[in-house]
Amino acid sequence: MTIKQKGYTHWDGELKTTQYPWTPITKKGIKLAFKKKFFKFTFFLTLIPAIVFLVGIYISERLEDFAFLTQDVDAVSFLKISPKYFNSYFTNDFLLFMIVVILVFCGAGLISDDLRYNSLQLYFSRPIRKKDYFLGKASVIAFFLFILTLVPGVIFLLMKILFSGSMTFIWDYPWLIASVFGYSVFITVFFAFYTLFISSVNKNRRYVSVLIFGVYVFSDILYGILHGIFNSDYFSLISIKANLQQVGAAFFGQNYPHQVSWMLSFLILVLICVVAGYVLNKKVRGVEVAK
Amino acid sequence: MERNLKEKEWTFFNSFQDVFSFFFLLGRKAKKTKVFYLLSFMPVAMALMVQFGQIFYSRNSLSGPYVFSNIIITFYLQFIILILALFFGTSVCSEELEGKTLSYLTTRPISKSSFILGKYAAYSLLMVLMTVVGVVLCFLILNFNQLGRFSLYKVLLKDTAVLVLGLLCYTALFTFIGTFIKRSIMFGLIFSFGWENVIQYFPGSTQRFAIVHYLKSLLPSPTSGRFSFLLFRLEPTPPVLAVVILLGITALFLGLACLVFSYKEYILEE
Amino acid sequence: MNPVIKTRKLSKWYGNILGLSDVTLKIEKGITGLLGPNGAGKSTFLKLLTGQIKANIGSVMINGEKVRNNHRIFSQIGFCPESDSFYEEMTGWEFVTGLLKLHHFSQADIEKRAAKALNIVDLEKAKDRRIKTYSRGMRQRIKFAQAIAHEPDVLILDEPLNGLDPLGRRKLIRLIKSYRDEGKTIIVSSHVLSEIEAMTNNIILIHQGKIFAQGDIHYIRDLIDTHPHMISVTCSDPRKIASRFVKEDYILNIDFTEKKDNFVVKTNNRDQFFNRLPSVFIEEKTEVQEITSPDDNLQAVFDYLIGE
Repeated sequence: MTIKQKGYTHWDGELKTTQYPWTPITKKGIKLAFKKKFFKFTFFLTLIPAIVFLVGIYISERLEDFAFLTQDVDAVSFLKISPKYFNSYFTNDFLLFMIVVILVFCGAGLISDDLRYNSLQLYFSRPIRKKDYFLGKASVIAFFLFILTLVPGVIFLLMKILFSGSMTFIWDYPWLIASVFGYSVFITVFFAFYTLFISSVNKNRRYVSVLIFGVYVFSDILYGILHGIFNSDYFSLISIKANLQQVGAAFFGQNYPHQVSWMLSFLILVLICVVAGYVLNKKVRGVEVAK
Repeated sequence: MERNLKEKEWTFFNSFQDVFSFFFLLGRKAKKTKVFYLLSFMPVAMALMVQFGQIFYSRNSLSGPYVFSNIIITFYLQFIILILALFFGTSVCSEELEGKTLSYLTTRPISKSSFILGKYAAYSLLMVLMTVVGVVLCFLILNFNQLGRFSLYKVLLKDTAVLVLGLLCYTALFTFIGTFIKRSIMFGLIFSFGWENVIQYFPGSTQRFAIVHYLKSLLPSPTSGRFSFLLFRLEPTPPVLAVVILLGITALFLGLACLVFSYKEYILEE
Repeated sequence: MNPVIKTRKLSKWYGNILGLSDVTLKIEKGITGLLGPNGAGKSTFLKLLTGQIKANIGSVMINGEKVRNNHRIFSQIGFCPESDSFYEEMTGWEFVTGLLKLHHFSQADIEKRAAKALNIVDLEKAKDRRIKTYSRGMRQRIKFAQAIAHEPDVLILDEPLNGLDPLGRRKLIRLIKSYRDEGKTIIVSSHVLSEIEAMTNNIILIHQGKIFAQGDIHYIRDLIDTHPHMISVTCSDPRKIASRFVKEDYILNIDFTEKKDNFVVKTNNRDQFFNRLPSVFIEEKTEVQEITSPDDNLQAVFDYLIGE
């Protein structure tokens, strides 16, 4: 064969792939997160609300042993385990803030590092598709967020049943299981889109970290100021946190914290996901195009 | 070609100047700078909304000077300058390490201190421009019907000076952190939005461990109103002392940054 | 001749990993090739020479002055790093003039020197393009331009030929030689023997953080030439071709591999074998597909030299 006859040929073989080709990406992402300094400590801090709420469930079943608490009206109302208790856990400011901190740790470099080291072409030279890549990266975020949302939610339910020794709580609120699952998935999907989108914006992880944190905090401060000036709850739609709390209240059947339809909040969060998905699809490609 | 030493002496100031102009150009060209410009102009949009609300809908009863001093300036002070200083301050050193461009600079006849101070000054000027332009625009928008009042300009000058002082001080701190810690951004976020936010509300001397305490000590105390909580429990330090302390903190951290950068060994990731 | 660069007992380790061990050297004017396989310690050595990292033990002197934390000495040194890193948003012109500015030249001087350096590396047409749009070869050349723009007496080049096409490579080699002719001191690192061979006879062999040999390349070449070489030949009739070499005294061994069209020859005179091979193919009218020398690389040379 002379050199002239050589050329590129299309590969006609059968593409054999595992059912979950994205799992190595996820495993690597999780391992890398745990390798970061102070991550384990920060992650432990993030679990503090879950521990506090779990203790609350225990106390609620042993109020006679904690008589001093029964004198405090607020404490008694808080310790009445109901969907409101779950809503308080899932939408509390500290948990949401710490989730963003965790996202900075484990999510900022997910795509930006790949862009920086030109590793996208390495990913796509293997039998994985774009959706596998995104799924692998999103699963890293899902792993950490489920530990902070879904896992405590399920444990709260189980512990409530165990501590009370009856299924009454579940019969009283049979839809609560779906709420816990639904809101955990919703918040995880939203933050996965949000983080991956920002991570794909730039190759510089420090810049991405500032953006993940800054956009979240900025939207909330802006809401606070505009609400303060105009006294209108519609400005809560600007705030990511307020929207998540609003949707949370809808999932757990609670009073809305802002006088705006929860559907609007839901639509805004979905819209952010759609825009993020579109940008991600455009930004992540196997071939680097120099401009 | 003869080395033209007669025209420029090899002084520390010349090195500083050369580093400054190199990084001012680089900073100006970076896309990130444009995004941060956008961020620092967000209060301008807010000021516009306030004025439109007032003119067309009479939706609020707050006066322009009140909104400017108690909301816009506080927003700059507690969010924008922190974010700017955090990013640009840590960039002074981390950017070179992450981009592996440090060797281009450390193999030039410039001292390491002049590099740190020159780059710090270049990025500080960029941030000051971002902030001051935004603040002045906010001021003009919010006070457009009383621009003849001389006393308002004094407020503008004072508020702007406080912001600039804050920027210099925080940037010096984050420059030091950037030379010292690899994951400086995480530490910076926790310091800015954790420590600074919490400690300033502590009573007694505790609040003096936050930089924001000294900055707030320089601002006029708010009249009672919806936003007085922003200065809640402030036990102010006398203004002159506050300025001296802020300048001292700036000098201290810049000195430490120069020292660390001169003697620390940076191994670039291969 | 006075040595320009002197190192004494230079040692560097990263944690418990040895980077460089007990290197005492004197380097004179002219080109010195630093040769070693990947991970041998070439970059560590060059970083120590340029004061970017500090030695755990030992010292480096250039022109009689210490290097680390002595910024003034860098007016005499040009350094071309190995890593492909740049201020990507800058144009080539801004990059070179910006770095020249740090040498305290006047503006007119900066422009003159930058234009000259860019002209030397054939980048004057692309000087206003952002570096992020440059090809690999252009990036390599702009990196070289910033190292030579201030016309230093000592040039330290870490793998400068990486990523260059053959033409660019030849041009750069010629250029490096021209600096030698101007009386400058140049240290060039590479893991490719032929690259270094094309530039200089004076080489330093570095392996596993230690200086293995220093001196004339011909000595090394002789060692390579006389050490038994494995040569793999793939052709249409390997047994017929191999039979023609059986009687030759420079053939030590012939192996037939599992592939039907291949055999491997072990010889202690590579040149003689290669001189004979083409005529055998022609005489036997055999189609040749591939001739490779699996151990004709630096690692093999080192393995041979250290007796592994």
